[in-house]
Parts: sequence; structure tokens; C-alpha cells
Amino acid sequence: MRHVPEEELHAYLDQALSRSQCVEIETHLARCGHCRAVRDDTAALRDRTTALLATLTPRPLILPPPMAELMSRRPVSVGSRLSVRTRRLGLLAAGVLGAVGAGWLARSVSLPIDVDPPVPMATALPATPLSTPITTVETIAEAPPPPPVSQPRRLELARKPAEDSAPPEAIAPAPELTLVSAVAPDGEGSPGGASVTALPPVAAPAGFDRLWRSVEWEDALVLAGGSLPFINGLPVLGVLLQPGQPGERPVVIVSQQHPSGEILRSIEGPVEKITEFLQRPAEPGLNASEPARTTPDYIESRGVTRRVLRALAVTGRLRADSLTALARAAALR
Amino acid sequence: MDDLERLYKTHYSAVVRFLYRKIWDADRAEDLAQEVFIRAMAHQPEKPRAWIFAVAANLARDEARAAIRRKKHLTLLKDDPVPLTTPDASAEDSVERDERLAQVQGALSTLSQRDQEVLLLWDAGLSYPEIAAQTGLAVGAVGTTLARARKRLIEAYDRKEYPAHAARS
Repeated sequence: MRHVPEEELHAYLDQALSRSQCVEIETHLARCGHCRAVRDDTAALRDRTTALLATLTPRPLILPPPMAELMSRRPVSVGSRLSVRTRRLGLLAAGVLGAVGAGWLARSVSLPIDVDPPVPMATALPATPLSTPITTVETIAEAPPPPPVSQPRRLELARKPAEDSAPPEAIAPAPELTLVSAVAPDGEGSPGGASVTALPPVAAPAGFDRLWRSVEWEDALVLAGGSLPFINGLPVLGVLLQPGQPGERPVVIVSQQHPSGEILRSIEGPVEKITEFLQRPAEPGLNASEPARTTPDYIESRGVTRRVLRALAVTGRLRADSLTALARAAALR
Repeated sequence: MDDLERLYKTHYSAVVRFLYRKIWDADRAEDLAQEVFIRAMAHQPEKPRAWIFAVAANLARDEARAAIRRKKHLTLLKDDPVPLTTPDASAEDSVERDERLAQVQGALSTLSQRDQEVLLLWDAGLSYPEIAAQTGLAVGAVGTTLARARKRLIEAYDRKEYPAHAARS
């Protein structure tokens, strides 16, 4: 019996093979213990690589500057643009000079003057604008909306522009969510570029009883801190978010359509919530993968940094080991 | 423009990370990432995702050459690799994270240029055909290269993290 070459298993786990190749490999895996063991080792190697590379990020949260700012730079030549570092140094120097000047002035007039501290550099940077208002479709909540995610920019994004000064409206409970977004994030999710049509509504998953918001992919990406669970190659049907505790990234559910027509849901969030979700009784035929570890949250509270472990699981009407393979193949994009 | 705008929002952070892992300078990586998207808006490429990473790779290469010319590269590696820490993180956490980052960075640097490129492009979310188009590899060779790169990265990291164990094995 010919075993599956290791590089083919890498391509299989990376969702880089055709459907027929996947079927061929899965058929072989079903009856070959050796290849299953190699697949598990390969998946573990792949997961470790992803985790190691995830540490090589310049900042925990990278947000793009407003598109308008980028557009305004278009006519400017590259050489004349000030670098981020130069701008920051300039702001710092201006702040220091301002503080020194104010101190000198205060001393020279011998009067007590309250000198404002220099503007922190972070607040001097432009805020990210709201590209598309986020629509709260419905909730299954009995409690008031939980506190939004910790970043001030996310707070801005989480509000409708017209609701800035209005009190939060009461939200009626309802069992299902309608689709807001039916686009793949990069235009390649749908095989052959076909658009996703006549899709069933994305039901809110059983087991969660707090506020869920259905949001566009790009807004969800910002709210979730720049990464969402995503199985490469499958079209995205919708994204649901549930805000976490202050300082914590939200729980995210990304619904994608498998070529067989089945809807797969990748759920990413704190390990406790994912475990709790997986332990609840599921609908008949609905299976879940083993949870895979994702990047943890580091939450600062009262001078203490707390680490909140996070995990990702995939649910759907496929075999549990297939879902586990998909969960390992799913990445935070 | 809508496609590019969507791509900007969804891929900006990936481009910054991709550049950072090549030049190890957070601010410069953001600068170059913006430059990439400015160029994309001017060129309106047909396959924008592959295009932005190709341009990012070229800019990173130019940046590395310039840094070597300025004799700055070693200083950057030594002094500026780790703005990962949050300002309020405890010193112990910060030191631990810095050490880990330096180890991963060191492990990555042991890979060949080709292996690094393929691994980073894959981690940035490019598909096998896109990686193949950018690196000149055959699509079928991408899996082989990735398999080798992943294995070498983990081995190199384990050698640094658990030197005694690695020596025995």
C-alpha cells in the first residue's frame, strides 16, 4: 500500500488540494493507521509553526490608518513623506519643548500655572473611521448589551453614527439571524469565483445566550483585533460577534459553506466559552472538532497582566475527525 | 477601488507582519505597508493580493540592502526587534516574551531565503498557486518547501529552547 507523502499531507491540511485529491487521501487515511499518525504529527507541526510565527508581530493590534489618509498621500512622492518614526520623534520633541517652554514661562512669571502634559503620541494619531455601520440584527439576550471590547477605536466602530448620543435601544429576542454579508473576504473563497446565492439563513448557535451581532467581514476583522477564524477556500456566509469582557477580544463565529453544501461554523474565543459550548447537547448529526489553541489575550487589570487562553473549534454535519482536520487547517486571518 | 479598499482593510495587518518579519523594524514595516497600498492604488493590479505581497517582498529586499549599506542592520537586530510588549506588561512577562521572540526570530533566520519566503507568504494567507507565482516554484513544490521549512523552523527553535534535549536527540 502506498502511503501518503508528507508534503501531500501538508497540502491537504493547508486546503490546497482538489476535492478529488482530498477524497483520495481521506479514503486512504480511513484505513491506514500509519498515515493517520503522520497526519496528526504533521498537523501538530503545522500548528506549532503557526503559533511560533504568531509571536513575530510588531504589535498585538495592527489597525490600518484611514483610507482617506492613504488616498491623500497618493500625489506625494515617497521620498518627501515623513516616516512613522520621524513623525513620532517630532511629536515627542514638540511635547518636550512645549513642556519645557511652559515650565520656563511659569517660573518666569512666578505664578502657579497648571501645565498640561504633552499630548500622548497615540492620541495624536488619526483614529480609524467607521467604514460601514454595524447593524445589530437581533439578540437572544435577556441582559443589557455587555461591555464592548476594550479598544477605544473599537468602541467607535461598534456604534451606529446616529446613535452616538441616544440611549441604547431595547432589542427584542429572536431565534435566527439573517445574513448581512455573503462575500468571501478575499474574493477567492468561492470556487471558480461563483457568487453565493440562495443560502439558508445563518442560525444563531444554540448554547449562547448573550448578545450576538452580525457584522460585515471587514468590520468584524477590526472588532476582533485583526484576525478571524477562516477555513481557506470556502465562501464566508456571515460573521457573528459576541463582545467579551473588558480587554478581551470577542467570541467570533464565522460561517462558511463546504463544497458539499454543509454550513461549517468556526468558533473562536476564550477556552472556557468554547469548552462550555462544545459540552452542551447538540442537534442530531451535528458534530464538533477538537478545540485547537489560538493566540491568547493578555489583559491588563489593576497593574496585573492576565493571560486568557483562546481556542477554535469547527462545528458542522461532517465527521468529527474531518472537522478536527478543518479546525487545524483553519487559521486566524 | 472597492476591492482594493476591502483588501486594504483585511490585509493591511498581514502585510505589516510580513514586512516586520523581514526587516525587524515595526515603524518601518508600517511605513512600507502603506507604501505598498499607495502603489496598489496607482497601479490597480489585476490580482491585487498576490501583487501587494510581491511588492512588499521587493520593498523589504530593498530595505534590507539599504540597511546593510548603512551598517544599520546589526543594530536593528540587536536593539529594536521587540516592540511587542504592552506598555503596562509586567517586567517578567516582558522579558519572557522578548526572549521567546528572539528565539523564534533566530530560528527563522536559520532557514534559507526560499524557505523563509514560502513560509511567510503562506502565513500571510496566500494560496499555493499565489506562492508559486511569486517565488517561481512549481505549485507542486510549494507543499514540499513548506513541509521542509516548517520542520526546520521547529527544529531550530527547539535547539534554542531545549539545547540539552536537542543535543541528546
